[in-house]
Amino acid sequence: MKLKKYLVDKLIEMILLIGFMIMTMSVLLALKLQTGILILYFFLCILFFVPVILSDYLKKRSFYRELLTNIERLDKKYLVLDTLNEPSFYEGQLICHAMYEINKSMCENVKKYELNVNSFKDYLEMWVHEVKIPIASLLLMCHNHSVDVKKYKEQLRRMDFYTDQVLYYVRCEHAENDYIIKEVELDRVINESAQKNREDFLAGDVALKVENVDMKVMTDKKWLEFILNQIINNSIKYKANNRESYIHIYAEDFKDKTVLHIRDNGIGIAASDLPNVFKKSFTGENGRKHAKSTGMGLYIAKMLCDRLGHKVEVLSEQSGSEADDNSESFTELRITFVKNDFYKVR
Amino acid sequence: MKKILIVEDDLSICSELKELLKNAGYEVEILRDFSNSKENILHANADLILLDINIPGLNGEMLLREIRKEADIPVIMVTSRTSEADEVLSMSYGADDYVTKPYNPTILLLRISAILKRTEPAEGRLRYRDLNVYPAKGVLANENAELSLTKNEMIIFKHLLERQNRIVSRDELMTELWDNNEFINDNALTVNISRLRAKLADFGYENVIETKKKQGYILQ
Repeated sequence: MKLKKYLVDKLIEMILLIGFMIMTMSVLLALKLQTGILILYFFLCILFFVPVILSDYLKKRSFYRELLTNIERLDKKYLVLDTLNEPSFYEGQLICHAMYEINKSMCENVKKYELNVNSFKDYLEMWVHEVKIPIASLLLMCHNHSVDVKKYKEQLRRMDFYTDQVLYYVRCEHAENDYIIKEVELDRVINESAQKNREDFLAGDVALKVENVDMKVMTDKKWLEFILNQIINNSIKYKANNRESYIHIYAEDFKDKTVLHIRDNGIGIAASDLPNVFKKSFTGENGRKHAKSTGMGLYIAKMLCDRLGHKVEVLSEQSGSEADDNSESFTELRITFVKNDFYKVR
Repeated sequence: MKKILIVEDDLSICSELKELLKNAGYEVEILRDFSNSKENILHANADLILLDINIPGLNGEMLLREIRKEADIPVIMVTSRTSEADEVLSMSYGADDYVTKPYNPTILLLRISAILKRTEPAEGRLRYRDLNVYPAKGVLANENAELSLTKNEMIIFKHLLERQNRIVSRDELMTELWDNNEFINDNALTVNISRLRAKLADFGYENVIETKKKQGYILQ
């Protein structure tokens, strides 16, 4: 609160006071009093009016200054009301009361939406579980009446992949108690993910090399499997057609962390797209030029990693021009699991 | 013949599962009455139970706990719920395995046979005709000679041997190999099988692995 602006605001009151002074002084002048008394009266007026305006200013200043600095310092600005001292003057009390009412009605409104969103997410989660039953049923039917059903199975696997994506999308944004972090054997998770994508590997003629993953990490098994599925699915989808494709999975063990590398020799990601691959709905050049993409897979994977406390990075290189045989392009995802002795204590 | 009890309320899954398991050589019973599940299950006298979590009446996890109080039958939980918490809960109640829908049928069969084998009293060494099979060493041996197989060949041979005189599909062999972290492709499987054949033929077992067109292989 600036004194100058405050005074400009109080212009009318000040004009009235000055007017009052001029009036009384002209009356005094008309009474032909001594100039000394007039000057004394003038200074008395000033001495009286200045504190009146100043005391009002100081009273308000302390309240508004607190209000403004608190708003600036808070990241959740709507909580500012709870940080203020009850103001001693009427105007401030009115403002506080109004803010309280506004806050309350907004909270109610937000709550309403929160309930809506949560019930929708609950329904979605339930729906995914429901829809998995017919998918399971169809897969069994395909298996039992096995007359060239590869193409049907492939479509079913795609359905399963996308329903999984919906499920984990819901979970990554509001999962407080859906995951359990415990010691997980990395090779088992990789194996399960590999089995799940086996037919895609074989159909796409992509070789899988897994080395040195015989170790344990702290994570949620199901979530990690989903994350691997997303990465592997991308690698198979964006493989380079002019050479033998492979996905190479290996892990490095350090004193304080374990790093899992998933590297493919696919078409790679353009350097300009690289910083954005984890953004929601980002499809980039590959999504436009090559296989269709929703831009959700890596976003969800990243969100899940953040929740689990894993670091995920992407490295990629695309070799120069189209005429080039792409011999060096690759994409590598790195997931870093932090080791924490705390978990090992029983 | 091993008897498997299916506890599942979705009828189409039930009948398909039944067919799948029958084709794999199991006797199958389906639980139809969920009003008194526990008694009915114990009464069925099965060798293994496939138990769904979302069933009418008592839910699968509770039911499992009740069953465990009285019997030690192997139980595989089958569910469309895919959270680690559900799995941990089921395992802590004493499930032997946990499979999520939609499951790969071949993997389900693999899991079933693994559990049945685990709970069965060990029946000594693995034998094929007059050969002793040593899977860990990768060796087949009779009194006079030894035949060493590569890891992949051994996995294939062992899988065929455990299902002797039955047709084993390529998909089954592939699943088994990938389950053992041997991520090979179709060509490599073909190569491995012809090598295995050649090795067995050299060792005096001509044409013991027969190809059934479009169905798979059979070990005589």
